[in-house]
Amino acid sequence: MPQQRGTHATMNRRAKIISLFVMAAFAVLLLRLFQIQVIDDSYKRAAQNNVLRREVQHPPRGEVYDRNGELLVRSIASYDLMAVPRDVRAFDTLALARIAGVTPEKLRSELDKAARYSRRRPSVIVKQMSLEAKLLFDEGDFAGFYTVYRTMRSYPRKMAGNLLGYISEADAAAIERDDYYQTGDYRGMSGIERTYEEVLRGEKGMKVSVVDVHGIEKGPYMDGAADLQAIPGTAIITSLDAELQALGEELMAGKVGSIIAIEPATGEILVMVSSPGYDPDELVGRDRGNKYMELLGNPRRPLFNRGVMSRYPPGSTFKLVNGLIALQEGVITPSRTYPCHGGYTVGRGMKCHSHSSPVNLRQAVQMSCNTYFCYAFRAILDNDRYDGPKQAFDTWDSYVESFGFGRSLDSDLSGELSGFVPTRATYDRIYRGSWNSLTVISLAIGQGELGCTPLQMANLAAILANRGYYYTPHIVKRIDGRDSIDARFYERHYTKVDGRHFEQVVNGMYDAVHRDGGTGRRAYVPGLDICGKTGTAQNPHGADHSTFLCFAPKDDPQIAVSVYVENGGFGGTIAAPIASLIVERYLTDTLSRPELAEYVKNTTISYPYYDRQQQ
Amino acid sequence: MTGSSSNNRTGRSRIDWGSVAIFFVLMALGWLNIYAAVFDDSAAGGFSMSSRYGSQLVWMGVCVLAAAVIMLIDEIYYHILAYPSYVLLLAVLLATLFLGTEVNGAKSWLRFGGFSLQPAEFAKFTTALALARYMSSYSFSMADWRSRLYAMLLLAAPMAVILLQNDAGSAIVFASFLIVFYREGFNSWVYVALGMVVFLFVFSFLWSPAALLAAVLVICTLLEGIMNGGWTDKVRYLAAVALAALAIYLTAALVTHGRADFYPCLLAAAGLSLVAAGIYAWRTKLKNVLVCIGMFVGAVAFTNVVDVAFAHLQIHQQKRILDLLGVESDLQYWGYNVNQSKIAIGSGGFFGKGYLQGTQTKYDFVPEQSTDFIFCTVGEEWGFVGSAVVLGLFCWLILRLIKMGERQQEAFGRVYCYGVASIFFFHVLVNVGMTIGIMPVIGIPLPLFSYGGSSLFAFTLLFFVAVKLDSRRRESDGH
Repeated sequence: MPQQRGTHATMNRRAKIISLFVMAAFAVLLLRLFQIQVIDDSYKRAAQNNVLRREVQHPPRGEVYDRNGELLVRSIASYDLMAVPRDVRAFDTLALARIAGVTPEKLRSELDKAARYSRRRPSVIVKQMSLEAKLLFDEGDFAGFYTVYRTMRSYPRKMAGNLLGYISEADAAAIERDDYYQTGDYRGMSGIERTYEEVLRGEKGMKVSVVDVHGIEKGPYMDGAADLQAIPGTAIITSLDAELQALGEELMAGKVGSIIAIEPATGEILVMVSSPGYDPDELVGRDRGNKYMELLGNPRRPLFNRGVMSRYPPGSTFKLVNGLIALQEGVITPSRTYPCHGGYTVGRGMKCHSHSSPVNLRQAVQMSCNTYFCYAFRAILDNDRYDGPKQAFDTWDSYVESFGFGRSLDSDLSGELSGFVPTRATYDRIYRGSWNSLTVISLAIGQGELGCTPLQMANLAAILANRGYYYTPHIVKRIDGRDSIDARFYERHYTKVDGRHFEQVVNGMYDAVHRDGGTGRRAYVPGLDICGKTGTAQNPHGADHSTFLCFAPKDDPQIAVSVYVENGGFGGTIAAPIASLIVERYLTDTLSRPELAEYVKNTTISYPYYDRQQQ
Repeated sequence: MTGSSSNNRTGRSRIDWGSVAIFFVLMALGWLNIYAAVFDDSAAGGFSMSSRYGSQLVWMGVCVLAAAVIMLIDEIYYHILAYPSYVLLLAVLLATLFLGTEVNGAKSWLRFGGFSLQPAEFAKFTTALALARYMSSYSFSMADWRSRLYAMLLLAAPMAVILLQNDAGSAIVFASFLIVFYREGFNSWVYVALGMVVFLFVFSFLWSPAALLAAVLVICTLLEGIMNGGWTDKVRYLAAVALAALAIYLTAALVTHGRADFYPCLLAAAGLSLVAAGIYAWRTKLKNVLVCIGMFVGAVAFTNVVDVAFAHLQIHQQKRILDLLGVESDLQYWGYNVNQSKIAIGSGGFFGKGYLQGTQTKYDFVPEQSTDFIFCTVGEEWGFVGSAVVLGLFCWLILRLIKMGERQQEAFGRVYCYGVASIFFFHVLVNVGMTIGIMPVIGIPLPLFSYGGSSLFAFTLLFFVAVKLDSRRRESDGH
């Protein structure tokens, strides 16, 4: 063996080194394999992400009916065109644009936008395509595109926009807050749509399918065992009476204000008109944004639900409350009379219209005597039982609060506000601590710092109908498939005034409608026994607000109504007829005075205060 | 085996059936995986000969025939044909450069009608033969620089032509012959230096210059320690350099108000220490110390030219390296293949998803899945267990080839067997390493697994000539 090849021993040593090197290299490969296959889980997850497409199945949104089963809000199928930019192949832009109903340029730019956002994640390209467009799309070959079902709303009765509310795309904050929502999902933004969002939206499903690298579906994952069926939204049967609501909206045409009718025995809301309203269908579809801005810009604020958000002075209707408190406090008796000769003359005084004198409580209610209630109110505050009028005022406040004023009634209406009832602190602030019963005398006749929502006034009508208690007003009568609605709607709330005190006040309300000299004569309908109280509220925005609250029939009340017409003048002129028409329609299904209805419908009131703001 | 030496001289064939069995088992497993990679359960079922697995099956038949023919040809012809075949293939490679078809940017395919061949695959075989012939000749001596040069040239010629074809992957395979050179007595220091170059190249992307310099210093000191001993001196030396560097740094920091850089300080300290080390080496007449100093200087110089060298790579090569080192990650583009490959293999888990059940390969998430990335199918469907079995078989086969080489009486057989073992080893290491993200993406096939007739046929040639040579070995009767 030639010497230069080295000794046999070195050769063997090198052979061993080479063998060890080879084994070491294979060991490294195996260790690395062990790491990525056994130790590290992330590759398994990445593989699932690669191969599984999770498609959210959107449930149809629950429908909304009126109390008689009439459809108020319908769900219509709509489809969003989605795209995963990574999977999009060359396609016929013109054809797809035509199907989707957009210009090719728009389609292109949306696709570019989507690609900038993410190449892997789906983006909405075209919103709200019709079912026909979706079917056409399905026939075409557009890799990387797909459609997603969305519920659109349609309103067959085109009424109660503010009450029913609208849905719109969930914003970033909502998505952050509730992981139910994803970009592009719709969510109830106001009205019933908002309060009953969780009932109406249903539960999303999930379709898991296997896709290849081109995004082409290869079939269901695990034969569909991993799929989750979408559960459609639940239908809601509201307590609204669509016919009555329609009448109410017609009667309020040309006027700003609100009508609310409640079934006293249950607290169910039968009518809720906020005027001006809007056609809820306007807030559906691709033009929604413009329409919304238009409504937002309207100076009469149609998007503002006056029924639960306004803070109106209740005017004379509030005398009922003061009378009841005075009775309960024992500072007056039903038979006690006070003289009235054109007004209350103590202090700054309070004018009154001309009527017979003296008057007892029943007559004072019938004729809406300011003077009587000034006496009564002062009697409440200057009660010897209390350590001065301020302490008496605390008591008065607690009574008023028990009637549902100055606080939210906790109804199921979205945006419900609490109105305002002054407290001792309020006046201490205003008068720097120095005030007495005379200082706040305006409260006697429902003026001054008082602010009430029409819902609170309707609730007062219901309290009078029930002679002392109410059920929290609510709009939902039944949720499909459930035995009951929220427990709080079955609970009786008693005022702090005993039921026995109500009779004289109710009699006065009866007389107001039925007897000569009553302020609510225009609400008279033969045989219906309507009990009502007018209100004429002074306000800084022009003519007095006209308000009327009533219930009927007197001895088995079926309906309690509150009408508030801004700047409508005397309560008996416009609010009383409207209320009586609502009551009559509800109780008899007819209108015995069609000419009155026509007259009211055609009455328009000018609102320089609102319309000035347009400039 | 010693007992059969008398038979051996009479020329009785002693085929290493174990290796042959491993070879065919691997080939069969390879085919199953090509089937799985092509398999798509939504496509019309049935077996199609026009598919990849069909055509691979035909090639496998051809290979079995070729193996039989190889075993029948007298081993003397491999000696005789070594140079002519080498020259012929070099000519074919050159011809391919002009007449070839371009695939994936590399002009490395020759097409005859519907049939195409990749000559570079066969160049490994002819080069292995030619090297075996040259290095077993009497005129060859590892100690002679001329011999080393000629051996290098034998290697460099096909490599250069293949590089010209823009097929860097196939060219780099020839580097595996460095293992053969090592076995035949090439200077170990060359390998240490090569290791150092790879180390510097990788870590120049990952570490700061100062850290890299410190590492180089420690490594060179370690090497010197391995050769000359005196470990306490080494520790003292390193501590002294560190202290000196710190002292310089603190001084510099005082002068520049804290804006001093540590790297030049360490470099200065190391430079000063080299002077001392040089004097020490000269006095003690330890040549090794000078070698280490040389290595250190070379390493520091190399570190400073890495960027320049790197800039000369093609863009995809740069990106693949950066991606491998984790310096830069672009999973959508440059890193896509490797990322998807890792996902496929990683998702296989311990036992795998089951044959034909791999979703990543079945639904085409892994590119090149029946050729360069065939190992993904193994990893995904057969899991860690299956991967370990396949790699184990490869390792076993390579070790058997080394053993074959060692038992050759003649240098020709030894060099050739080592050549075959090295080529197998390089291919498996780089290909599998690439699919699991520890090697840069180099487009070379996994032997016996990747789809492609040229590769399969070339590996059959390589392997069975080794088996043939081994079967005709003259067993030495011991010394």
